[in-house]
Amino acid sequence: MVPPDSETTIHDLGYRRYDGERIGARGALRALYWQGVRALCGVGRPAKAKAVPVFVVVVTMLPALAAVVVSGKSGGVIPIRYANIFTSQLLLFVLFVAAQAPEILSRDQQHRVLPLMLTRELTHGRYALARWGALYSVMFVVCLAPLLLLYFGEIGVATDPATTFAKMGKKIGPVLMQALLTAGVFTGLGSALAAFTARRAYATASIFGVFIVLKAVSVGLGDLSGSQGQAGELLDLLGSLRTMALILFDEKTRAMELTPPASVWVYVATMLVTSVIGALMLRWRIRRVAT
Amino acid sequence: MSALDSLSLSIEPGITGLVGANGAGKSTLVKILLGLVEPSSGSAQVMGHDVVRERSAIRALVGYMPEHDCLLPDMSAAEFVSFLARCSGIPPAAARERAAEVLRHVGLFEERYRPMGGYSTGMAQRVKLAQALVHDPRVLILDEPTNGLDPAGRDEMLSLIQRTGREFGISVLVSSHLLGELERICEGVVLIEGGRLLRSERLGALTGETGTLLVEVDGDIDAFCAALTASGLTVVRDRERVLVELAETTGESRLREMYDRLRDAAVSCNVGLLRIERRRAHLEDLFTGAL
Repeated sequence: MVPPDSETTIHDLGYRRYDGERIGARGALRALYWQGVRALCGVGRPAKAKAVPVFVVVVTMLPALAAVVVSGKSGGVIPIRYANIFTSQLLLFVLFVAAQAPEILSRDQQHRVLPLMLTRELTHGRYALARWGALYSVMFVVCLAPLLLLYFGEIGVATDPATTFAKMGKKIGPVLMQALLTAGVFTGLGSALAAFTARRAYATASIFGVFIVLKAVSVGLGDLSGSQGQAGELLDLLGSLRTMALILFDEKTRAMELTPPASVWVYVATMLVTSVIGALMLRWRIRRVAT
Repeated sequence: MSALDSLSLSIEPGITGLVGANGAGKSTLVKILLGLVEPSSGSAQVMGHDVVRERSAIRALVGYMPEHDCLLPDMSAAEFVSFLARCSGIPPAAARERAAEVLRHVGLFEERYRPMGGYSTGMAQRVKLAQALVHDPRVLILDEPTNGLDPAGRDEMLSLIQRTGREFGISVLVSSHLLGELERICEGVVLIEGGRLLRSERLGALTGETGTLLVEVDGDIDAFCAALTASGLTVVRDRERVLVELAETTGESRLREMYDRLRDAAVSCNVGLLRIERRRAHLEDLFTGAL
């Protein structure tokens, strides 16, 4: 005999109220930021989504590693040329942002998830901020990693690490500056362009396109004015990033010694302005996405 | 283009249907209530909060299930729903727990760990309902929740909505272009057309049980009717069915006595009783001429 009020009755709990803690916008921002970082790195996603991030990180680190090894074997006779190596990797950074920025920005529009987020604790502005933040953090790490490898490699392979370390103090500034600004430019333009379309292929093409078009316009302006006008030259963002690296790391080429480039601050300002314009464009665009 | 035109109404707690043909302005009304679209003129309030000026107050109170697809195909339902719970400001651990609970409530068990790209329409609709419930809102706004479902799926979805609304005290606004399917679950109906309000009615009493018994018999209906009339009942014959009027205040004992008399009449006329039920009023009766 089972008593009628038996403890063994199975209850379907069904729906229950939630009276727990709510951390509001702060929690929402953090959730969206980390979801973005994970998507950008392909974490928790199928193998196909990991291809580009893994490829770019491996291919950018290998030349840096090679340079350190060669310099070490030669006992420091062959110097490590930061700007050269960094410049040769710029196209890979473009590949990364062109492939991965749409992963977080176009996808939300393609699958129409935005209305679900925007009716929660995320406003348009917070959404844009969390997406920008995620892309910037990942781009910063991707840009910084090979430079840091060179930096610590140079200290490591030196015959006398202690004195080299003291000498190298000056170099950490340029390393950080170059990575911060490069990440800013790629994040700004990449996120703004990716937010403009729900189609990932279009977004990827437009991000590659903008760097090529800017280069073409810059060359065109130079031809028009007969000499390399400096304002036009700045438009070629990849070229300007290279010039900035050469000046920052004090590895000027012969050509630059003949016709000295503008002050490094002109380049720094250009990159800053481009970064900010990109971020503002992203915010402007997100406010206008049809939901 | 104006989707809504001088529409003015108030919706009471409980389950309310929002009915109109495609393009009548149902989705626009829903989006204005959610703050996704700003009205060009006029105002709206959700639980006393203005949808434009006090949007942040509404965010935690409202759960929204859009009409369109809104699932990320390579995420699992468990991940997706707990991510959106976090976007509502629920801390990570509680978000996972809530996600598991609401997914069970909507009837998704082991499937919730599979990527949502492989889900059937029925499963996708369940996830969409689950994400609207996960942050324990006070008001649920469901835009065409039965869209694309087969008849069995429709029934399940409707009874799920009914259970959620009745048992857990969440007010529900559910839109549909089918009047018929809403009458089962709604306590009130708002009918709009061309952006204007046609009618807004409470249904409770109107479609509740009426003072009519509906009887179906197998055999000589005329004789059966005559026998009932002879025993002092008011009888109307409606083709193959017999409608028996009940007195205004019919208690349980009176009803049981009525059943006995029906049985006796059936026995005396030698007809088979197929069905006896209290007739329910239909929404279509209520809105005859309105559509």
